[in-house]
Parts: sequence; structure tokens; C-alpha cells
Amino acid sequence: MALMQKILPCFHISSLYRTTMFPLLTVRHSTNYNASLQQEDDQPAQNLSNPYQKEKRCCVLCKYDVNVDYKNARLLSQFLSPFTGKVYERNITGLCKSKQKIVESEIIKAQNAGYLAIMLKKVEYFKDPKLCDPDRPVRPHRY
Amino acid sequence: MPSYELSLMLRVLSKPELVSSLKRSAETIVQQGGVLRQFISIGTKPLPFKIRAHTQWHREGTYFLMKFDAPSSAVENLNDEFKRDIDLIRTHVVKCEEPVKQECTLEEELKSPAYRKDVQQLVEESRKTVRKQFKQNSPGFDYYPFQK
Repeated sequence: MALMQKILPCFHISSLYRTTMFPLLTVRHSTNYNASLQQEDDQPAQNLSNPYQKEKRCCVLCKYDVNVDYKNARLLSQFLSPFTGKVYERNITGLCKSKQKIVESEIIKAQNAGYLAIMLKKVEYFKDPKLCDPDRPVRPHRY
Repeated sequence: MPSYELSLMLRVLSKPELVSSLKRSAETIVQQGGVLRQFISIGTKPLPFKIRAHTQWHREGTYFLMKFDAPSSAVENLNDEFKRDIDLIRTHVVKCEEPVKQECTLEEELKSPAYRKDVQQLVEESRKTVRKQFKQNSPGFDYYPFQK
């Protein structure tokens, strides 16, 4: 006990390096405490979002929140083929399932109500901005 | 009372005749217990295809839009009345519904088939073994056995 009292004051206990010469209880306790602090600093932060995550792709109609109406024959014509007047499939239009269904149902409504032609696409609508390109579909054909 | 939208297509008429035919259609709506809310004119336009109505072929028409509230039982009667009107080429009654807001599922659909949820569901369904159940009071075959 007297020996320990003599040694302790001259021995500088630093947190930066370990002491192995005098394995005293107090020294061991301090190193463990400091080591635990260091471990906490070194651990990666939890709940971080992936910074390289790509933006979620959205279909044209969802992105701009377009209200598809059976009276809007021009908008519906953008999803028709200028050659056959038929509705393009989902792989060409690039719409999500729900929007594609809505567009198809509205086209049928418009044709029944007499707003949209059935077998063709109006020549005045040919120069409209292209939303679908049959030569570059969004995904391969179903079959 | 649910709200409906009526898109009217009338044949090309002079103004007083047009007014009287529109009045007639509006009166039929009111007769069936409806309440007219809005009355919009879309104009006289060439029709997208020639339409035959009451022994006449039409290539031009006047488009009108009528928004009204009516009992759901009235729609059938309205359609019946409009069929008999000579001036109307085509009528289309649609129920006005607010579109259901849904998130775009395009990202999920563009994934390769192995990662798509609907494909995974199909695979799970195929793995389920369906136990054949004995059908009571049935012939037991798909074809009609008493052939000539």
C-alpha cells in the first residue's frame, strides 16, 4: 500500500497510451473507459439514407398530375399510333398500370361519345409533342 | 344525389331550333328529378367519323356539356328519352368521380421479373399444391360423352 502511494504521483496516467508496467486497478479502469468512448466515436452513424440512391422514375401523367378526361381528345391522341389509330401498349407509352388503364377507358369513352376517331389519328395532331416512340419502347414487348 | 356529366352532340340547327332542343333536354333532366349545375358549350365541330342518327348521316355536330345532380335511378330513363330525340346525335352520361390519388408504381414495374412483386406472387401461387376435390352431382369429364 505504501509502495503504491509512492508510485502513483510520479507516474503520469495519460489517456493516449496504455500503461503495462504497473497493472493497477485504477489505470485499467481508466483505459477501459477511454476505449469505450473511442469505440462510440468510431462506429458508423445509423439511419443514414443512401446518397447514391437513384430518383424514383415516374410516368409522364403522374409526374405532372395530369387529369385525363374523355373530352380531351388531343391528349388521348398522343397515346395512339399515327399509322393504325390504335392505343399503344404499356411498354411503349411508359405509363404505370393504373394510368394506362385510365387512358384506355377514357379513349373508349371518347370514341363512344364522339370526341375521338376510332380507326385513325387526326392529321392536325401529328405535330404534337411525342410522348410515345414505338421504335424505342420503355421495356420489351410482353411476348 | 350523385353528380353526372352529360355530353350532348346535337345536329346542326338554326339558333332558335338549337335553343328549343337544348331546353327540351334540360327539361327531361329536371323531370327525372335532376338539378342542373353547369351548362357549357364546346362549339360546332366536324365529327371524327360520320354518324347515323334517325335515318340521317351527320358529319358536323354541335357539342354541349351539361353537369347535373340526379338520382341514380334517373339515368336509365334519361338515356331512354334521349334516344327518342331526333335532334340528338349522341349522348353520353358519365358519373363525376374524383380520381383516386395513387402513387406511381412505374419503378416497381420496370424492375426485372425476378424482383417484381406480382411475379413473386405468381411463383408462390404455383408452389401451392391444390388438392383435387371430388365434385358431387357432376359427370366427371369435361366433354359430352353421348356423341353420335
